[in-house]
Amino acid sequence: MSTAVLTRTVHAEWLRLRTVRASWWFLAAGVVSMLGIATIAGLEERAESGGPAASAWLAAVITTMPGQFAFYGLVLLAVTADYSSGGIIPTLQWTPRRMVLFVARTLVPVVVATAAAVLLALAATTLVWAMVPEFTMPWGEADVLGTVALVVGSGCLLSVGLGFLFRSTAGGLVTVFLVMLVLPLILPQFGYDWMLDIAQVLPGYGAAYLLFGEDMGITTTWAVTVLAAWGVGALALGAARLVTQDADN
Amino acid sequence: MDHTSSGISVRGLTKRYGEVLAVDHLTFDVEPGKVTGFLGPNGAGKSTTMRMMLGLDKPTEGSVLVNGRRFAEVEEPLRHVGALLDATSAHPGRTGRNHLRVAARTNGIPLDRVEEVIDQVGLGAAAKRRIKGYSLGMRQRLGIAAALLGDPEVLLFDEPVNGLDLDGVRWIRDLLRGLAAEGRTVLVSSHLMSEMQQTADRLVIIGRGRLIADASVDEVLLGLGRRHVRVRVPDPDLLAQALGARGVTTHRVGADELQVDGCPAESVGEAAHRLGLPVHHLAEVDQSLEHAYLELTASAVQYHGHTPEGALT
Ligand SMILES: Nc1ncnc2c1ncn2[C@@H]1O[C@H](COP(=O)(O)OP(=O)(O)O)[C@@H](O)[C@H]1O
Ligand SMILES: [Mg+2]
Repeated sequence: MSTAVLTRTVHAEWLRLRTVRASWWFLAAGVVSMLGIATIAGLEERAESGGPAASAWLAAVITTMPGQFAFYGLVLLAVTADYSSGGIIPTLQWTPRRMVLFVARTLVPVVVATAAAVLLALAATTLVWAMVPEFTMPWGEADVLGTVALVVGSGCLLSVGLGFLFRSTAGGLVTVFLVMLVLPLILPQFGYDWMLDIAQVLPGYGAAYLLFGEDMGITTTWAVTVLAAWGVGALALGAARLVTQDADN
Repeated sequence: MDHTSSGISVRGLTKRYGEVLAVDHLTFDVEPGKVTGFLGPNGAGKSTTMRMMLGLDKPTEGSVLVNGRRFAEVEEPLRHVGALLDATSAHPGRTGRNHLRVAARTNGIPLDRVEEVIDQVGLGAAAKRRIKGYSLGMRQRLGIAAALLGDPEVLLFDEPVNGLDLDGVRWIRDLLRGLAAEGRTVLVSSHLMSEMQQTADRLVIIGRGRLIADASVDEVLLGLGRRHVRVRVPDPDLLAQALGARGVTTHRVGADELQVDGCPAESVGEAAHRLGLPVHHLAEVDQSLEHAYLELTASAVQYHGHTPEGALT
């Protein structure tokens, strides 16, 4: 894979990403949800003034929990829009080396979305810290941004992989919501051990554990491994479909 | 001429979609400096063949080389092969100009060139509008602009005149002839033989995925063709009677249309004139080509009613 070709393809993917409105709508959804929640939380904390001192970094994880899904939508659409519009036909004429396209089309949206999520988590934290006098923002705890990057980054990889695998926005979105949110949330509620076992191998369970670090019966290593396995697995299947199958069947 | 290094060479190309044998062991060459018409009725396998030329679909069997290489191995494909396949395939939310800019970026083509091709295809002010508002004709022009972007030696156009008005059709014809005159390899598909007879130097004719003819337009017309005449008049029975009295065979092919065999158009027109019948339509048609079409379409229908193995025999 020549680096010149890959560099060009990366530039082209960046141009593609920023020249469709959907990208900006999803980004706007991320901004509104994350900063909106931070503002509401800040207002509430300020109202009960004289409360206990706490770390404003909590805002980073609280806002990432719902905000992450805007970024999954963004990266998923960056892949599936070409299939729904037929744009994959010219795309593959211009970049017939499919692994080159795969790498560029994974790299650009995932890096953009993950960076945006980290910046917004930082902005949310700063906002809460500025609004609530009792809150502190110790830089020693800034590693929570690394956790945000890990969770959103692997969720984005999963979404991109599913996009290439299903070639359908609806199929991708439903699956992402199921494994990142719905199933990890409801399966443990039934009280059966085997359902909890299933929940614990879903990426959303690991993501919640990493963000909130509560007693959830798994370790950090386990959570990271599960997230990475889902991301890498979906990418591998997606790449296999792109490389081996006809352009748009 | 060395077919392996210049133009397009198709060898035993076969594509099966499940039970549908879309392309069936096609072998032919497309030479530089000529417009080659790729002709066949709808569903004959023209688009599928072109998709395989561009590496979009994988052949079930056989191979196709463009300038001696597999398309997917070419580093800057737009500088070698320009193609317009399905004109509706583009992200509707992007502007025409941005669509072309993405194309230019992928192949390291300067952005100035985007403005040149926008002017060349007459897209003009529409380039800054989103593709979703384009008519089919404008989408065809956009697709042609993308095909021309890299100044390629090989050009493929799949039914490019669809959706174009008469001016557009004439423009495409001149464009194709001009590109071939510059020594480029031009392959253009159509299901209309009339269109191809006017544009192409050579014809590759397929039906049901199989090669029917691969020859110059003149050879096709001479070798395959006895011409017949189609005529439309208000009282076709009267004309049929008059012609029949002179030993000319006619067939009724429509409510007011006759097919006349072995008799030039002039004589048919004169016969109608003598009868005082106004002639609404009069044309010489290549009988063999049309026959081949009808037979192919008929057997294609038959084939769908039988087991898929029937297509292999
Ligand atoms: N993706 C596909 N899946 C299944 N059948 C297909 C597919 N693409 C084309 N076909 C079938 O292959 C045959 C040839 O189609 P096509 O190449 O589009 O013909 P043409 O372009 O000459 O009209 C048709 O019978 C068509 O229905
Ligand atoms: Mg077609």
